[in-house]
Amino acid sequence: MNNGQIIAGYLAPHPPHLVYGENPEQNEARSQGGWEQLRWAYERARRSLEEQKPDVLLVHSPHWITQQGHHFLGVPHLSGKSVDPIFPNLFRYAFELDVDIELAEACCDMAADMGLTTKMMRNPKFRVDYGTITTLHMIRPQWDIPVVGISANNSPYYLTTEEGLEEMDVLGKATRKAIEATGRRAVLLASNTLCHLHFSEEPVPPEDMAQEHPHDYAGYLWDMRIIDLLRQGKTREVFDILPQFIDEAFAEVKSGAFTWMFSAMGYPEIPAELHGYGTVIGTGNAVMEWDLIKAGLASAAAGGNL
Amino acid sequence: MTVVAAFLVPGSPLPYVRRDNPPWGALADAMGKAGKALANAQPDTLVVYSTQWIAVLDQLWQTRPHLVDVHVDENWHEYGELPFDITIDTELAEAAVAATNEAGIKSKGVDYDKFPIDTGTIVAAKFLNPDNALPLVITSNNVYHDWQMTETLGRVAAEQAEALGRKIAVVGVGGLSGSYYRHNIDIAKDSIASATEDEWNRRILSLMEQGDLAELLEQCPAYAAEARVDMGFKHLAFLLGALGGQFSGATIHGYGPLHGAGGAVVEFQL
Repeated sequence: MNNGQIIAGYLAPHPPHLVYGENPEQNEARSQGGWEQLRWAYERARRSLEEQKPDVLLVHSPHWITQQGHHFLGVPHLSGKSVDPIFPNLFRYAFELDVDIELAEACCDMAADMGLTTKMMRNPKFRVDYGTITTLHMIRPQWDIPVVGISANNSPYYLTTEEGLEEMDVLGKATRKAIEATGRRAVLLASNTLCHLHFSEEPVPPEDMAQEHPHDYAGYLWDMRIIDLLRQGKTREVFDILPQFIDEAFAEVKSGAFTWMFSAMGYPEIPAELHGYGTVIGTGNAVMEWDLIKAGLASAAAGGNL
Repeated sequence: MTVVAAFLVPGSPLPYVRRDNPPWGALADAMGKAGKALANAQPDTLVVYSTQWIAVLDQLWQTRPHLVDVHVDENWHEYGELPFDITIDTELAEAAVAATNEAGIKSKGVDYDKFPIDTGTIVAAKFLNPDNALPLVITSNNVYHDWQMTETLGRVAAEQAEALGRKIAVVGVGGLSGSYYRHNIDIAKDSIASATEDEWNRRILSLMEQGDLAELLEQCPAYAAEARVDMGFKHLAFLLGALGGQFSGATIHGYGPLHGAGGAVVEFQL
């Protein structure tokens, strides 16, 4: 098999509040809702994903932080309970997922061949991080598509932002080659918030939307500027100003998922579909889609809806 | 005396999971010595501050009475699991939550099944309290708290221990210099990644040995910045807060590399 392709990429942020607001049976905590604009944005993204019919979902999460290399989930089936260490009152989620081992190993090997330090995570007792789980639940709550989970090597924080994101660029290119080599129809999920300054206190109840708004106007303006450019397909311009955005808005895209995804997709200059934007405890979150099939950069599945 | 022992120990799992590797085994031996010293001090409770328990919104204190689980480190998963069995001194923990709130630092307890206990706390507990003979109070590292606030946390914890008649051992869990090897190395030849940071570590440890608190405090800001010290060395701030800013000297049971970063096992003389 060597005709694999990336069919779509999503900016798919991971505030656990979204799972909490939805009240799925897997989550112990119960709510009266909240963060509807973002949850409904994910509902629209779910419909797109359903049409795209991917074989696999790849997610890069900033809450699996590694220092020595880029790590990949490497156990065929992982299950357990993931409790968010920051918001344990909101997120106590019983997860169960299947890993596409062949693709994960291909990504790991390809990235190593391209000069990165990489490692497969083979320990079956490993607790999958809440960022990975939240993004996967919100985009595909059925959990019926295999996944590849990728850690966030902390190079953008340990090195300079630019040096770290160069590594994520290489990781993206390696991911693309691995997908092509293994014949997968893959969807990429960049589990990142935009502006990331947040309030230091939680309202009671946490889903009191009367208390929810952007942390600061400057961060909101930055988010709108980035989203507007992405909606126009001005990818190069976004990456030109990305370091400034990261510095001034404390943007979580620093952790690398956004760069990894765009690098894997070849930095396409195509308009993004904005499914929705909202704040969570003051941080800015956008659910956005780049459909490479509609853009003519990938082919639809046989018998697909497009 | 409320505080009967105080230790600074590394939170890396490497000395525990790969004791057979000489550079890390030396730190494991040092942790063993610290464990014996702690037992000899006969505390009622261990009060543990770990840089690896990251908090963002509030100051968190563990209030679940009994924690039993298996942890796998996010980075060093290939070296196996860290099973743990930890009992919490809930009375002291709850008192600390209330008192830190009164001191102006918003705090709360966490009491949830499967709450992720950090690697540093587990490693410290396994070395210093191997049979779970003593209960612990465990608190977090709020990344927005500075040195002074962290000192306050230590002070308040000790004050509450005194109010409840507890004798406590205080344990600051965290590393020294923070540069590390990002790539695979021959672990048998592990070393401090930066000669400058090695010098800094040795200078700071020497000041601890001499009990030169004034010079230590003077040097800490520059040390934290220039040697990329783990979380700005706030684990020392917590210890000093609990000790009322006083110790007469220290025994360095061990100092060595942890994949390039610095780690030391320090017992403070009170």
